[in-house]
Amino acid sequence: MTTSTARVAPIVPRGPAPDARRRRAARRRAVRPWVLLAPTLAVLAVLLLWPLVRVVDLSFQDFGLRELVSGEANYIGWENYAAILGDSYLWTVVLPNTVGFAACCVVLTVGLGTLVALFLNILGTFWKTVCSTAIMVAWAVPAVTGTYVWIWLFDPLNGLVASVLAGLGIIEPGTVNWYTDRLGFYAIATLNVVHHGFPFVAITVLAGLLTVPKELYEAATMDGAGAWRRFWQITAPMLKPVFAVVTILSTIWDFKVFTQIYLMPGGNGGNAEVFNLGVWSYIQSFAQGKYGMGSAIAVLLTGILLVITVVYMRTLFREEDL
Amino acid sequence: MRRTGSALAWPALGKSLGVAAILAFALFPAYWMFSSAVDVDAAHRGATLIPTDLTLDHFVRVLDVGGFGQFMRNSAIVAVGTVLISAAVALLAAVAVARFAFTFRKAVLVLILIVQMVPLEALVIPLFLQAKNLQMLNSLLGLVIVYLAFSLPFAVWMLRGFVAAVPKEVEEAAYMDGASWGRMFWAVLLPLVAPGVVATSVFSFITAWNEFIFALTFLQDADKYTVAVGLQRFFGQNTADWGAVMAASSLITVPVVIFFVVVQRRLASGLTAGAVKG
Repeated sequence: MTTSTARVAPIVPRGPAPDARRRRAARRRAVRPWVLLAPTLAVLAVLLLWPLVRVVDLSFQDFGLRELVSGEANYIGWENYAAILGDSYLWTVVLPNTVGFAACCVVLTVGLGTLVALFLNILGTFWKTVCSTAIMVAWAVPAVTGTYVWIWLFDPLNGLVASVLAGLGIIEPGTVNWYTDRLGFYAIATLNVVHHGFPFVAITVLAGLLTVPKELYEAATMDGAGAWRRFWQITAPMLKPVFAVVTILSTIWDFKVFTQIYLMPGGNGGNAEVFNLGVWSYIQSFAQGKYGMGSAIAVLLTGILLVITVVYMRTLFREEDL
Repeated sequence: MRRTGSALAWPALGKSLGVAAILAFALFPAYWMFSSAVDVDAAHRGATLIPTDLTLDHFVRVLDVGGFGQFMRNSAIVAVGTVLISAAVALLAAVAVARFAFTFRKAVLVLILIVQMVPLEALVIPLFLQAKNLQMLNSLLGLVIVYLAFSLPFAVWMLRGFVAAVPKEVEEAAYMDGASWGRMFWAVLLPLVAPGVVATSVFSFITAWNEFIFALTFLQDADKYTVAVGLQRFFGQNTADWGAVMAASSLITVPVVIFFVVVQRRLASGLTAGAVKG
């Protein structure tokens, strides 16, 4: 790169054809952002946008193991969607699992995260640091290993929970298996996801709490407002954008939970009662070899998330100009 | 002293209980993982809170017989590859959106935000087929490429903030000294945003290190497994070698926890960047 492009506004133009040079410099300035963006845009196009087109395309095909080998396309119109939407399995098992689970997780994650944030906010610096480091550890434990720990804690034979309950005489050792029961399965999954998700909410809300002017609380206290009213009349309205973001992000994450379900006993295909949309799509494709059907389910999931994302974007852009 | 303090004692007691509850809830699973990993009788510890006797046997078994060292090497290769490429690519894009005014700048930003919301779990089928056609299945390079899609949008979004925080005057001063744009980038901008690059890289590293669904789908041979997939090895049909599983889990978790605590502040602010007013 030459130095001439960057030098700012020479007052006395020297040398031949200063206009041409300036024009060339201007053109280079106009092109440069696109040169810088090119690798990113290329990656996003190849790895996100094209597969997105591809998954929609696949959802209209009968794409099985035969097509996987031959590479031929076999379009069948809306048949995959008709099969999915006409299947009572979607309405009685998968959708309730997905939506119910996500709703429980979001409410508990945001509720617990907010409580923890409010509590941390009244602690002194030392204990605040200790507690936030502890919840950082909870956040940092990877989904895979965290899930295995919860499976181990609830192991029907030798797990901590079974042993404690057996010790108290509540259950007979080895007779109860929570994982085969849909509700038990999802209760454990919820505990896992909430434990992994509340630190993000707590840390974000805590950061938001620090921006609320203390005078507001002092004035409200003088007016005789209790802690409950102070929260609903000052904290909640002031932090509305923060709550909106953590709620919507949690919703997106909890709708597409895969690892935490798939790794639990029965979640990888053994027990069809416990699938959610993501797991169902995966099992249809990679266990049953029905890639077209799996794609249709994936499109359905993406559609739901898209709606949530639109809400998210609107919340975000109301708050700050880019 | 007792009497005057009693009015204050309750809130103080409440606080202590609260702190204890948070610490217990947050740390117990991690504690259970580490303590099971060093427990001689891990599989039958039941409700024994403290291991009866300590041992490193589980770790030895995991690394020796289980071949977990290989899995950790694979994960490290994938994660470092992802970090290097995504940091370089994202920094260029971040400079473009933070420093240049151009048509469609806002459109590019919105695009980056939107693609961040695309559920990659829903793209596992087309990406699997694509990788299969390109003979990229069962290869660590294939995983690195896919993980770029995971980390890039977030990295651009986060680095944009760091680049924007560098005062324009610093750049202009470099130009005054006769530096070209390229020289200014290397000698002035890059050192100033280096902390941001580090924080973003840590996030990319963690994402790649932890990723499960693509590793599960793409990798077929045991010698290519990353840690997240390799863990499954310690499960039998109906039984699990819990000591080994927890030892291996500890090996996966420790680097992540260390990184996380190091970058904690930037991480929280980066995730909601643009949403929380500072």
